Amino acid sequence: MLAELINPYHFQVASFILINIILGISVYITLSTGQLSLANAGFMGIGAYTSALLTIHFDLPIVLGIIAGALVAALLGILIGIPTLRLQGVYLAIVTLGFGEVIRVVFINWESLTKGSVGISGIPHIGREILRVLKGFGFDPKVIGLQNNQFIFLSIFLLLFIITIGVIWFFRRQHRSRVGRAFAAIKLDEKAAESMGINITYYKVLAFAQGALLSGFAGALYAHVLAYISPADFAYHRAVEILIFVVFGGSEVIWGPIFGAFFLTLMPEVLRFISEYRYMIYGLIIIILMAVRPQGLIDVNLLNWVKTKGKKRGQKHGTGNTKSM
Amino acid sequence: MKMKKLFQFSVLSSMLILSACSGGGEQAAGEKEGKDGSGGAVKADIGVVSYISGPGAAYGEAITSGLKLAQKEINAKGEVDINLVIEDSAGKQDQALTAAQKLINSENVTAIIGPTLSTEMNVVGPEADLSGVPIMGTSTTADGIPQIGDYVFRNSIPEALAIPASMKKAIEKYDAKKVAILYGNDDVFTKSGFDTMKEAAEDMGLEVLTIEQFQKGQSDYNAQLTKIKGLNPDLILCSALYNEGAVIMDQARKMGIDVPFVGGNGFNSPEVIEIAGDAADGLIVATPWYGEKEDPKVKEFVSNFEKEYGKKPDQFAAQAYDALYIMAEALKNAGEADRDALRDALAEVKDFKGILGNFSFDEEGDVVMDPTVLVIEDGAFKIFE
Repeated sequence: MLAELINPYHFQVASFILINIILGISVYITLSTGQLSLANAGFMGIGAYTSALLTIHFDLPIVLGIIAGALVAALLGILIGIPTLRLQGVYLAIVTLGFGEVIRVVFINWESLTKGSVGISGIPHIGREILRVLKGFGFDPKVIGLQNNQFIFLSIFLLLFIITIGVIWFFRRQHRSRVGRAFAAIKLDEKAAESMGINITYYKVLAFAQGALLSGFAGALYAHVLAYISPADFAYHRAVEILIFVVFGGSEVIWGPIFGAFFLTLMPEVLRFISEYRYMIYGLIIIILMAVRPQGLIDVNLLNWVKTKGKKRGQKHGTGNTKSM
Repeated sequence: MKMKKLFQFSVLSSMLILSACSGGGEQAAGEKEGKDGSGGAVKADIGVVSYISGPGAAYGEAITSGLKLAQKEINAKGEVDINLVIEDSAGKQDQALTAAQKLINSENVTAIIGPTLSTEMNVVGPEADLSGVPIMGTSTTADGIPQIGDYVFRNSIPEALAIPASMKKAIEKYDAKKVAILYGNDDVFTKSGFDTMKEAAEDMGLEVLTIEQFQKGQSDYNAQLTKIKGLNPDLILCSALYNEGAVIMDQARKMGIDVPFVGGNGFNSPEVIEIAGDAADGLIVATPWYGEKEDPKVKEFVSNFEKEYGKKPDQFAAQAYDALYIMAEALKNAGEADRDALRDALAEVKDFKGILGNFSFDEEGDVVMDPTVLVIEDGAFKIFE
């Protein structure tokens, strides 16, 4: 029963969706203080390369590699953030875009470490490692009626699912905390926020570093899910792709980037049946949605509407009103 | 309240995913059928992962047209009945991986042809190998591809075979001792070509005067070329894709550098002649594919391809065409559409006479074959003697 339900293909797609959701949130966090950062692809690369190199050369456990990748990215985020956050809007976007390119060029040219544009292969794979460790304890996936590769993808999916839920939970909590309010105040009006006593430099760097941490984290996960990375993965295209998740889904609430990443990762897969035309349809959907809903698909109004709708329906059922049926 | 929302969302999304899964599973089970009962044609689904959309779509188009032509001919013969399931990778590793997963798990294909790029193969190869699905690259020339695993093959001549072959012939003819190397350092293709060139130059005892780099999309190569000109090499080894390579040759000739160029696989395109014109004369490349060859098989393929698609086939179409024939041959020998049986049969393919020449796999699944060395003379590719 379980074995028939588990198709590694679907879990593979689901894993990429979850990683993209984390990436979407990383851009959303910096955007929630009104800063547009395009460096996330670069930070993602930092996380991916750090974790990949540490796990390959020093036999570090993947968990530590991923944490190290995220921390290095965050550290770089702070270092880059402090000087560049004096800039705003388009200028910041250009500086961060430039930073992302610098990172990529470093990956290409530091050949002794990164193998240049050929990329790094043979990175430990999360799912296969989990299976190996469990097998060490005498566990065999056949006990629960699964093939090895089904188990591998199920475990990756569950792991990423838990991580993503944790990330969403954390940032929703943060949004309602003092930090989240400070972010929102800075986004609305920096000067006013400063006069209210908010340390804007601190909060802006915090948001930037959180974004970097999260991208680095997602990048490290990406490296260990794909088992191969090359500098071309973290180019300008990736930065724009991540930004589109947020712009498409909506940057006002956290559900925006989540939905954006979910929809835009799933779309090319669902459209596979029209093969070479699928990216045309993909582009068309983005254009139409941007024309109709420039603020992104999901915004505060939509959420409120859904909420009141849900409440009304609940009441109707509660009072036994059959008129609406 | 909030937690409840969160919970609802997660339940909803996992249900969505699960419902998608069950659909695919059933289909997979329904399609799992290998052999035509009566001992007739061996029926098999062959998956194809190709670069059909995006900037490199021309490669994917050439490959899929070559495959489709071969499929038509093979099925007409009636010994094997091949059904191609073509998926797009858009040139991205993650897309290539999901496409391959779909073919392996949802479509239940017997084997996979593709993906187009070596970077994609680095991701897809290990997965196919673990799943026990034979996979054959038709355009993956980088080092270490068939070494990924027992189930990974290729029929494209690796650079490690092609570049030394062309260098050797060029050195013999021009009695070259000093070479300059020029390469693009931000592309996997040109970078791994360079690694091979450097190694081969060292093996052959050549004196490497200088190693110069350039980047994708660069349009002015005068700085590098001036330096090379000053050093006066006998040969220039240039690992470039044709679009940059043609411009390099053009500028070099204008500057008065008239020594021959030896190029890698990416340099091997008729486009070079179109872009550089007369300046392209003296480019030496090794290729598995030469369309002017005096071989009835080659002639037939070229005329059939032109009839079908209205243009001449290139290297990628020819390699894909041969790849499917090799698959068909192995399927026939295996006698059933079984992944393991097909792998064993593939590994045993020897002296297969295709349009590329005499083809065998070595014990690792890599190519054993003599490439043809070509030179551009008077605006056309000719066999280099």
